[in-house]
Amino acid sequence: MMIPFGHALAFAAALFVLGLTCVLLRRQVIMILVGVEIMLNAASLVFVASSAYWQQVDGQIFAIMLMAITAAEVAVALAMVVYLWRRKRTLVADVFNGMRG
Amino acid sequence: MNESLLFLIPLLPLCCAVIIMVFGMRLPRLFAEVLAVTGVAGAFVLTVLFWGYSEGEGTRAVLFTWLNSGSVDISFALHFDRLAAPMTLMVTGVATLIHLYAVGYMHEEKDYARFFSLMNLFVFAMLAIVLADNLLVLFLGWEGVGLCSYGLIGFWYQKLENAKAGTKAFLVTRVGDVFLAIALLWLFAITGTLSISEINAQATSLSPGVVTVVSLLLLLGACGKSAQLPLMTWLADAMAGPTPVSALIHAATMVTAGVYLLCRLFPLVSLSVVAMTAITAIGALTAIYAATCALAQREIKRVLAYSTMSQVGYMFMAVGAGSVAGAMFHLLTHAFFKALLFMAAGCVIHLAGEENDIFKMGGLTRRGPVELFWVFLAGAVCLAGLPLTGGFFSKDGILLALFTHPDPVYRVFWLVGVVTALLTAFYTFRLVYLVFAGEYRGVGHPHVLPLLMRWPLWPLAFLGLLGGLLNLPAFVGGSETLHNWYDNLAGRTVTASHEVEWMLIVLAVAITAIGWFAAHWRYRIYRAPQENAISRFLLNGWYADALVDRLFVRPFAAMGRFCSSGCDRTLFDGTLNGLAKMATGWSALIAQMTTGRLTTYLSAFAWGFLILLGWFLLKLVSGGGH
Repeated sequence: MMIPFGHALAFAAALFVLGLTCVLLRRQVIMILVGVEIMLNAASLVFVASSAYWQQVDGQIFAIMLMAITAAEVAVALAMVVYLWRRKRTLVADVFNGMRG
Repeated sequence: MNESLLFLIPLLPLCCAVIIMVFGMRLPRLFAEVLAVTGVAGAFVLTVLFWGYSEGEGTRAVLFTWLNSGSVDISFALHFDRLAAPMTLMVTGVATLIHLYAVGYMHEEKDYARFFSLMNLFVFAMLAIVLADNLLVLFLGWEGVGLCSYGLIGFWYQKLENAKAGTKAFLVTRVGDVFLAIALLWLFAITGTLSISEINAQATSLSPGVVTVVSLLLLLGACGKSAQLPLMTWLADAMAGPTPVSALIHAATMVTAGVYLLCRLFPLVSLSVVAMTAITAIGALTAIYAATCALAQREIKRVLAYSTMSQVGYMFMAVGAGSVAGAMFHLLTHAFFKALLFMAAGCVIHLAGEENDIFKMGGLTRRGPVELFWVFLAGAVCLAGLPLTGGFFSKDGILLALFTHPDPVYRVFWLVGVVTALLTAFYTFRLVYLVFAGEYRGVGHPHVLPLLMRWPLWPLAFLGLLGGLLNLPAFVGGSETLHNWYDNLAGRTVTASHEVEWMLIVLAVAITAIGWFAAHWRYRIYRAPQENAISRFLLNGWYADALVDRLFVRPFAAMGRFCSSGCDRTLFDGTLNGLAKMATGWSALIAQMTTGRLTTYLSAFAWGFLILLGWFLLKLVSGGGH
């Protein structure tokens, strides 16, 4: 059974908005990272769905690329989280305002 | 002998100046002193040895080509001719005696190397003026003497007023130098050469108007160096320098450079009747102005300074009356007796315990060697023009030249000259009586006079007293040696009947006698001076300084203030600072937006994304409509 393309897009959009909301509303660095992951997955879903719709393999290649990039990004981000925790014993994002003009 | 050896005359003092300047403080003091005197004395001996070269048309010596560009070819050349030779002899001779005197005078000075190197450098620059073959070399010397004069007036620069006097002399003479520079450039533009003899030869072919203007510019240049009206304010203040400097620079040599310049370019200057009258008028005005100022001065050196201005005024009158020989005659005798008077005044100041005020002297015959009185008196009678002294004959020659001039206006100048002679006799004997007669009124302790400060006065005293023999007029049995020596350079030949000459002589004698008796009557027995408006007016030199201050210095300062605080600080700095402040204000406003908080940036991202999205949607909708 084929899932209709529109459903897939709607689901992806909902996922993206959920991720965005998480990024915008949460104050913890970890939760922001989680929101970013969700938004990336939404994008990944759009790639896969469109690959199936247009019968092209490019979208799936992109999805795999995205997984690799996400893995790298999470590795770096979690290292930074550890570092931030060591510096200020907190993970509230607004505490780190060293770039204030 | 080779004629290029003539260069040794100016180069000897220059070399000694450089050696003393570089090594002076490392060598033994005696060596520097001997070197300074040797340099000048050597130049004197060389001048005597080379005397024969000056006969006929003189001798030119070219050392090297100075400037060579296209048609311009100016070489560093000297011209030792009949006009230059006596002047060179006088400069080197008087300078030698003054250097010897200076060794005695400065024997306690620690900074002797600077003093002697500047003195020798001055002699070099003065010789460059005297011996110059072209106007550029002359100008080099002209600026050189100004520089040395500046350095020596302000020699004791730790005292502010000395330094200020030096600066004043430098600036005021610089005003004259600007006019001289304009005259030189103009002459170069119209004749295409700077050689003095070529300019003189071409003078008749120039248009009369140009000759007049150039001559007036030269006159202004000469006025600056020679302290003539209206550029005379610096000379009285220049007395702040050491006494040998006053004797050498501000009496005998540098202040007469203006007269020498006019004599050098006499064939050019004499073509313009206006310029000649202006020269005489300036000389006459300065002579009477300075003589009146000298009447009320309290400082011995200032009296002599004003008398120098007055006597240089006589020389200008002689040039204006067309008598170059008369001007040079007075220049030479004046150099002898005025250098003598200054050096004797230095001794007097020493004896009075460094006191300058003549009202606090008196009775100095009994406080020091009596010979000092006699040499001072010798100088004074020459200055006053007592009959048979050098000053008498030279001054009388000038008055005769003025009296016999065909233009009737010169009778007025002659009258001014006679009145000035009366005043001169009066203030000279006033000086003698106040310094030497009566009881000592000061409090200072006399210093011991070194031998070197005493004996150089004697040769000058003899030269001053017997200077008349240089140019004894024919009607008293003389042969007018100097006039004949100058030959075709001597200017107008003064011819007068013997009755006129005798009448003028009798008048001159009477005038001197009246001046003397007036001074005798007033100052033989000391009476304290009364201060009144007239004496203050004369003491302050007719308030010329205040006038210059009002006319030039203050408006200039006001203009400077306007430019500085009005334009620069308010307008320009204000605009630029305003712009800078505006930029800082804006940047502070913008900086507030960068909070450094991650959440702010993220929400800005989201808003931006939303706006972009909305924009594309709008495009889609409106694009879909078509």
